[in-house]
Amino acid sequence: MGDFGRRLRTAILVAALVAVALVSMVSDRRALLDGGRELPWGVGALVDVARSLQKIITLPMDFLGDRWDHYLALVGVGEENVHLRERISFLAEENLQLREALVASGRLAQIAEMREGFEIPMLPSELVGGDASPWFRSVSFDRGRAHGVRSGMPVISEDGLVGLVTAASRYSARAMLLLDRQSAVDGTVQRSRARGIVRGRGVDDLEFEFVVRGGDARVGDVIITSGLGGVYPKGLRIGRITGVSDPGDRLIQIATIAPAVDFGRLEQVFVMLRRGPTMELLYESEERDELAEAAPSRPTS
Amino acid sequence: MKKGLAILGMGAFAIVLQGAVAGFLSPPWCPDLGFLIVIALGPRFASSAGGISIAATLGYLSDLLSGSLLGQHLLLRMLAFGAARRAGRQLDLRGLLPQAVFAGSLSGLNALAFAVVTAFFAGSGFGWPAPRAFLTHVAVDAAFAPLVAAAVDRVLAWAGEDDSSRPLMRFEPRGKIA
Repeated sequence: MGDFGRRLRTAILVAALVAVALVSMVSDRRALLDGGRELPWGVGALVDVARSLQKIITLPMDFLGDRWDHYLALVGVGEENVHLRERISFLAEENLQLREALVASGRLAQIAEMREGFEIPMLPSELVGGDASPWFRSVSFDRGRAHGVRSGMPVISEDGLVGLVTAASRYSARAMLLLDRQSAVDGTVQRSRARGIVRGRGVDDLEFEFVVRGGDARVGDVIITSGLGGVYPKGLRIGRITGVSDPGDRLIQIATIAPAVDFGRLEQVFVMLRRGPTMELLYESEERDELAEAAPSRPTS
Repeated sequence: MKKGLAILGMGAFAIVLQGAVAGFLSPPWCPDLGFLIVIALGPRFASSAGGISIAATLGYLSDLLSGSLLGQHLLLRMLAFGAARRAGRQLDLRGLLPQAVFAGSLSGLNALAFAVVTAFFAGSGFGWPAPRAFLTHVAVDAAFAPLVAAAVDRVLAWAGEDDSSRPLMRFEPRGKIA
């Protein structure tokens, strides 16, 4: 009887935990579809502590990496410097000419005014860790809700699009990388304006699915965000096409993309402190629902 | 209780460490320490209920520190614990090679289970893990399994009764003994 009781207790525990896991996955999927999850206080605090620990663990590695970058990896920097100086002077000259042309056409002040309205505030943030599972691609960084970070905000680096914030606690947040299998971004070929979906494959490259008819994508083409998915702003650099599959008699063609961002060397990212229109709509409706729930119900006659 | 807490502490630290190292190493080259601890625990932990609870807790922590759906690691860690416990009863898992082969095989199955669960619940469509990344990760997990098992043995021995001295292969009578 004792043995039976123990087995029964274990079976009940397993059933309860399996039920918890299934319900969690379904509700988390819904939360992700609605733009991400804001972690509750207790869980968020636990995650913040873990991220602080990760930061401490990575300190020696950061130090070594820094020494390497600043002292040991400087071979060829002189040559690169000369090349970059030449490029800067060329760009400065070009910039000056363009400014002159704009001033001459009297549109510079108008453009400066417009830019203020369009500019999205950026929050610089340091990465503190990668994904605790090898089958997912995400990063955590040291800015959270206290700094204005919310789920659904795009994350970029100076090279291009990095991903999307999917979970935020008070002092840290997690962003799903473009490389993750669950990531899908509406993209455009910069040259031909052909549209398609950029999907993560869980490895270091991406795939670009586009319709064969009318779609024109070649090796070397740059892919940028189209802005049509309502999540990412238009024009963020995603990557460059490295290969295009033979479509055969299929309607969909797939191109392989090398991401613009070197995810292996990513150290600092910028969170765009504004969600896309789709995310805003989702959150607005969610906030409306919350308000409706909080409001006292009127007695029905 | 003390052993459970010690293993929980060890597992939690291992998962945090794994997340930190993943910032530097390519994902397939990172051993899945949380997973390895759970499968090392399977044949070693005295109480099934206690072991399952630890596996579930470590799984939940992995969920919080990874991009998976909440509950995904929780579910698969429990399955891994169950599989390791059952295998520990049927097979002799002492020795480096058996431990490495067993951990490698289970790591491969674990990867496929993740792909299936992600496809089903996240609706991202089923995709086999990339073969090179898959094989590399399985090999890395296999290589680290004996080390992690030894560490689990040490922690269990330190925390209380020495479960590592229990034979991993148990012979149980199937019928009544006259």
